[in-house]
Amino acid sequence: MARGVVERYVDSVTSRTGGGSWLTKNLRKVFPSHFSFLWGELALYSLIVLIASGTYLTMFFEGSQDVVTYQGSYVPLQGQEVSAAYDSVMRISYEVKGGLFIRQMHHWAALLFIASIAMHMARIYFTGAFRRPRDINWYVGITLLVLALAAGFTGYSLPDDLLSGTGVRITYAIILALPLIGEQLAFLIFGGEWPGTDIVGRLYPVHILVVPALIVGVLAVHLALVWHQKHTQFKGPGRTEDNVVGERVWPAFAMKSIGLMFFVAAAVSAMAAIFEINPIWLYGPYDSGAATSLSQPDWYIGFLEGSLRLMPPWETRIGGFVINNIFYSGVVVSAAIFGGLYAVPLIERKLTGDNRDHHLLDRPRDAPWRTAIGAASIAAVGILFIGGAQDVVARTFDMPMATVTRVLQFSFLVVPPIVLVLTRRICIALRDRPGPANSERRVPIERSADGGYGVASEDSENAISEESHS
Amino acid sequence: MTTDDSAPTSTVDDQPAGFGDNLSNPVNQRAYRSAIVGFVIATIGGLISAWAYANGDTDRLLGIGIAIAFGGIGFGLVSWAKYLDLDDNVVQHRSRLRTTEEERQDFDEEMVMTGETVGRRKLLVALFAGSVGSLAVAFIGPIGSLGPKPDGQLKHTGWSAGRRLVTSEGAPISLDEGRLDQLATVFPEGEIGRDDSQVILLRVKPEILTQRTIDGGSVEGWVAYSKICTHAGCSVGLFGIDDREPDVTRQLLCPCHQSAFDPIDGAKPVGGPAPRSLPQLPMAVDDEGFLIATSDFDRPVGPITWTEG
Repeated sequence: MARGVVERYVDSVTSRTGGGSWLTKNLRKVFPSHFSFLWGELALYSLIVLIASGTYLTMFFEGSQDVVTYQGSYVPLQGQEVSAAYDSVMRISYEVKGGLFIRQMHHWAALLFIASIAMHMARIYFTGAFRRPRDINWYVGITLLVLALAAGFTGYSLPDDLLSGTGVRITYAIILALPLIGEQLAFLIFGGEWPGTDIVGRLYPVHILVVPALIVGVLAVHLALVWHQKHTQFKGPGRTEDNVVGERVWPAFAMKSIGLMFFVAAAVSAMAAIFEINPIWLYGPYDSGAATSLSQPDWYIGFLEGSLRLMPPWETRIGGFVINNIFYSGVVVSAAIFGGLYAVPLIERKLTGDNRDHHLLDRPRDAPWRTAIGAASIAAVGILFIGGAQDVVARTFDMPMATVTRVLQFSFLVVPPIVLVLTRRICIALRDRPGPANSERRVPIERSADGGYGVASEDSENAISEESHS
Repeated sequence: MTTDDSAPTSTVDDQPAGFGDNLSNPVNQRAYRSAIVGFVIATIGGLISAWAYANGDTDRLLGIGIAIAFGGIGFGLVSWAKYLDLDDNVVQHRSRLRTTEEERQDFDEEMVMTGETVGRRKLLVALFAGSVGSLAVAFIGPIGSLGPKPDGQLKHTGWSAGRRLVTSEGAPISLDEGRLDQLATVFPEGEIGRDDSQVILLRVKPEILTQRTIDGGSVEGWVAYSKICTHAGCSVGLFGIDDREPDVTRQLLCPCHQSAFDPIDGAKPVGGPAPRSLPQLPMAVDDEGFLIATSDFDRPVGPITWTEG
């Protein structure tokens, strides 16, 4: 049989690289499927949208704080002195045809990227997929989360508008608060005293080169490990620690996954087309003398914003030196959160003494302590998140700011333990309840030859119960 | 796809999937038709975008068209995969991940060999490490060039004795012009816009000021504080007054993290995370009746740093 074009071209590569059997083997690779396995793919495809839309934006953006006079088509700002960075983002939004769409796509995709990483991480945690041998990939994944946050923050800061400029200034203050090296480090990063003229020009290469290169590199390791270690699967008939049951990569799984990529792009495009995001013309250019109330950062910085707002005004004096409380709320809290995330596999191994390989997933209820600790942690971070918008809460419910802050501080201490106990009890109750296979007797219905319905005969019932318990 | 109830079929590992035409099955037939609809809609979406760009609707319709195109392709692909209806219970064996004893010994031999070859010349090992270390030292200089050495910049602002307080338009402040309880942002004359020198100026009835506020350099009810929050350095730009008798309260508020300061009592922190009061600018009046500073702030402005113990 004559070989087609594809076969011949693929062969011309594989026969030079020795990849002949490797390629076929991987096309036939089996992937288990479950809706919760899609979060990681969602993050991957958001990243692709980010890289494509971001590349477009670099064609127009200027990473400079040189002062220019705004002369674009947005009337309220005409004649005002703004930075070249702000001016170029205004140009993308108003003068470049389709520029606003791509810019909003980039921003929405960034929010989705980090949200899907968070969901993916939660899935891995609550199903115990981080256990050996995948603990190694958990560390890689948390590194990706940190890098994604770095990408988000540096990108969000580039337009040099009032909202993001305020965020950068807070970052400067947090660095300044580091014991011993704070002042030196802040001066090194910002090129001198705040605000200087360098920081946007420095964040720019970090945002478009350093962080993306790291993300792509670390992501390659992450995916290679997923591929090589093979995916985990939920328990079920015929599924063991030694096999993987599911669909072959080629063609249906690949088609569905690529279809998901298009769905992600579609959702992001639709949001970019319909919902305005980060309207920097309303915030105005950064002006260190100005600040607005009800100013919240992008959602993924919310926990840090809340930590800064809820921390009581404590400072620590040590022999003529002092630690400002933003060191605790900015640095210590972040270090505790991410340190805790990195330590998850270690802590679990320490508590359970379990060093075996796991390829079958737990349901959350199967590990009540793990699930309870996870839920309590989410509750704690969730309260910090609400704290980041405590002024919005106070305004919405017409309560005094001090009361809202007090309630949230109190909740931060009290709610996580309550969530811990409740979740654990719920898990135990669910786990001990007989599953649907045992509690509900399944009665097969058969359609008779004359069109009526009736209970199936003994034989077929046996056949089904056999299948579900095999 | 694979739920608890579907037992895996016994497909042998690493064999190609079987295929046949599925169109006789109504479910597959529907998926086949969905795929057609998806791809056709996608094509229409792409054309809508092109039309939108040509007609200047580049904000909304262009994006909606692109969204339709992406969504249609996604829908088409997923429907196509559904139509194929391939076996989703293929069983594949997991290969061993743990190291065997033999592999371990192989690697250990490799390490023994390294010790006997590379490790034999301890002097070279030490010199190599030392030279790489010195290379790192050589780069400290260029890295240091990223920023100046802190040299008291944070301790000084643009204020000095005799400097007039001026608005951002450059107008000096006359002693008797201010209305009570109105906030203004002022700068030292000649340095309008200088970040570390921004000051909030407020006039209140002189008798309500505390003694330490008067001693700190207020003039006939005028008080001036650094505008930079001692917490995280945002601009303390909001002033609130609750003038319901008998407890009239005035607050300066930082919108970033809701730190509150009392302007009547030396801008001491009265709420929120700020640990210290805002530095007060000591003032006097010059010969022409305008407000001037009598010195710089008595301590650094802005967020508290390590050295301010």
